[in-house]
Amino acid sequence: MQQTSPLKRTARALAPLPWIGPAIVLIAVVVVWPVVAMIQSSFLKINRSGVVQGSNGTANYTKLFEEPDFPGVMARSVIWVVAVVAITILLSLALAQLFNQRFPGRRLARWAMIAPWAASVLMTGIIFRWMLDPEVGLLNMVRRDLGLIDALGGADADQLGQAATAMPWLIAVAVFVSLPFTTYALLAGLSTIPAEVYEAAKTDGASRLRTYWSITLPLLRPALTVATLINVMNVFNNFPIIWVMTHGQPGYSTATSTIFMFILKRSDIGESAAMSVVNFGMVIVLVAIFLKVSKWKNEVS
Amino acid sequence: MSKRIAGVVTLGVAATLALSACGESGGGDSAGGDKAAGGSVTLKLVAADYGDGPTADNSGDKFWKGVVDEFQSANPSIKVDVQVINWNDIDTQVATMVQNGQMPDILQTGDYSGFVKDGLLYKVDEVLSPNTQSDLLEKFAEFGKVDGAAYGIPFVSSARALFYNKDLFAKAGISEPPKTWDELKADAEKLKKAGVSQPFGLPLGQEEAQGESFLWFMGNGGGYKDASGTWAIDSPQNVETFTFLKELTAAGLTTPNPGTKDRKTVWEDFAAGKVGMANGGPMSMPIFEKGGLTNYGVAPIPGKSGPLETTLGVEDWIMAFNKNGHQEEIKKFFDFFYASSAAQKISDTYKLLPVTKSGIEKLSSDEKLKPFLDALPNATFYPFTDPKWSEVNTQIKQTIGGAVTGDPAKVLGAIQKVATAG
Repeated sequence: MQQTSPLKRTARALAPLPWIGPAIVLIAVVVVWPVVAMIQSSFLKINRSGVVQGSNGTANYTKLFEEPDFPGVMARSVIWVVAVVAITILLSLALAQLFNQRFPGRRLARWAMIAPWAASVLMTGIIFRWMLDPEVGLLNMVRRDLGLIDALGGADADQLGQAATAMPWLIAVAVFVSLPFTTYALLAGLSTIPAEVYEAAKTDGASRLRTYWSITLPLLRPALTVATLINVMNVFNNFPIIWVMTHGQPGYSTATSTIFMFILKRSDIGESAAMSVVNFGMVIVLVAIFLKVSKWKNEVS
Repeated sequence: MSKRIAGVVTLGVAATLALSACGESGGGDSAGGDKAAGGSVTLKLVAADYGDGPTADNSGDKFWKGVVDEFQSANPSIKVDVQVINWNDIDTQVATMVQNGQMPDILQTGDYSGFVKDGLLYKVDEVLSPNTQSDLLEKFAEFGKVDGAAYGIPFVSSARALFYNKDLFAKAGISEPPKTWDELKADAEKLKKAGVSQPFGLPLGQEEAQGESFLWFMGNGGGYKDASGTWAIDSPQNVETFTFLKELTAAGLTTPNPGTKDRKTVWEDFAAGKVGMANGGPMSMPIFEKGGLTNYGVAPIPGKSGPLETTLGVEDWIMAFNKNGHQEEIKKFFDFFYASSAAQKISDTYKLLPVTKSGIEKLSSDEKLKPFLDALPNATFYPFTDPKWSEVNTQIKQTIGGAVTGDPAKVLGAIQKVATAG
């Protein structure tokens, strides 16, 4: 064994830097720095025209937590994420299974699945709002022709006008735009499962349900974990669908925390930054809970 | 395997960071006002879009390009960079610019007062010649002052009145527009019977709930502030007003779920012949006519016991930021703007009212605008010089629509609390 000099050791330690350096710089500038700025802003007093007027201590947070609509907004955000992600995953599991079979027109069906993904989320939201327009909306015309509503233009035809009927539509649209990615992630997962495993199951005489439950699902876990994680974050931070379709109204009754943050930004930037920080914390908590529940650690070790 | 999952988690956390940070990192290009190569100066102008959108024929981009081209050919050493932003986004985008220290030189938007306290603006005397100043309507210029010094320069103004669809009124057997709330309700019932889905168009959604509400408050002797200038949003008159609107809504005589409907939607429905009557301004006329509706009438807005003697005056502003130190160039631009045909062109294109004496004179022959021009001198304004107004305004826009479905006293009380807090 030859003794290496300290200089050489340092040089060796620094050797990977040219390769990972750009990535580190990118993450620092694009990811870390904005987060630091966000956290800083949440402790500043900033007036509506954007002028920083000095430190505000924790007053932004106190004000935020005292907002009468805050608890409702946070609860709704959690329901929103859980509902959208759960429905998306369930539907995607079925769709992925379907697309994994051989059937005539499969290529076309797979292509069609991409459409909601390829279209801008904002446009999708606008189109659904138009289809639900109380006076001229296509869906309302269909409902009228089916005899579900008496006439166009009234409160019955205005489903986006009330929180109770608007929320299901918002969730439906969010599921619609989340399906393609999730389905494709799961489809990729399915294709990694070797055919021999299924053959073995067949030889052992396992039922189809049993095969799915004991072989497909466990082997699909990595893909499911990734798909769910990314969906949780995406849906939690989803802004365009709700904003375009309801503006979070009536009142704040369809607003999630992201919408609330945006509305706050119009009157109090510091408080809005505090909301961002809370939002950020929420996503991390949701992800942590999910990882804990899915027990990924036990599985992989 | 464990490495792969760890990688996934790292990716996940990084994505979380990036997504959460999105709301924070605002846009905005490099600070305007750098000296260009030829010793010329570049003015950065940020303006609100009065048109229908960036691609429409009447887009703000096209309007300002015309003005700037003319100005630049007369003043070759000054370049003007224009950024037109739609009304929904301009406040937040300008706030981001200010927050990042990238102030424009000239800003044209709906409010100036927020910038005064922090000393960001030139005084009007510094950037506007006496001739131009004396041409501005005194009453309007007066609102540009904070503590006796003028900072905001009136840009355009507007007023409100009741629009009614004459064909639908004839169909329902109504001979003349309503003057009182009772008449309004009776007419709305007749319109409903005649098959009109929205007898009264009531936009209390986010876009302009503060304007519609104010018009109704004034009809009952109420308003956002009382005579002594203290906030009175949950005054008995205002609660009574919303109780009346609640009855109207419950009877199906208004736009469904008014708290979620924007003014633009209601005006478009009016243009499509679905709405019997609605409050509007000169700026709604192009929308009505574009939708194919020409047989409409204009009348004073009904109040509880008689038509309003005042109207809601709205005034937009142009202002100059002092950070980049382009006082001389800005002055040249302003004097050019007010002396040119640009102001006239705004009135023609967007049916907004001028703020100069010469401008009013030029328009006085227009029959359709006459009711509005006559009402301007007696207009009532939002309490926008109050520092709390922006916060109150946001709260009104988001929540006041709830007063027609929930408890008016409670909803208005919550807004009053925001106005009087801290």
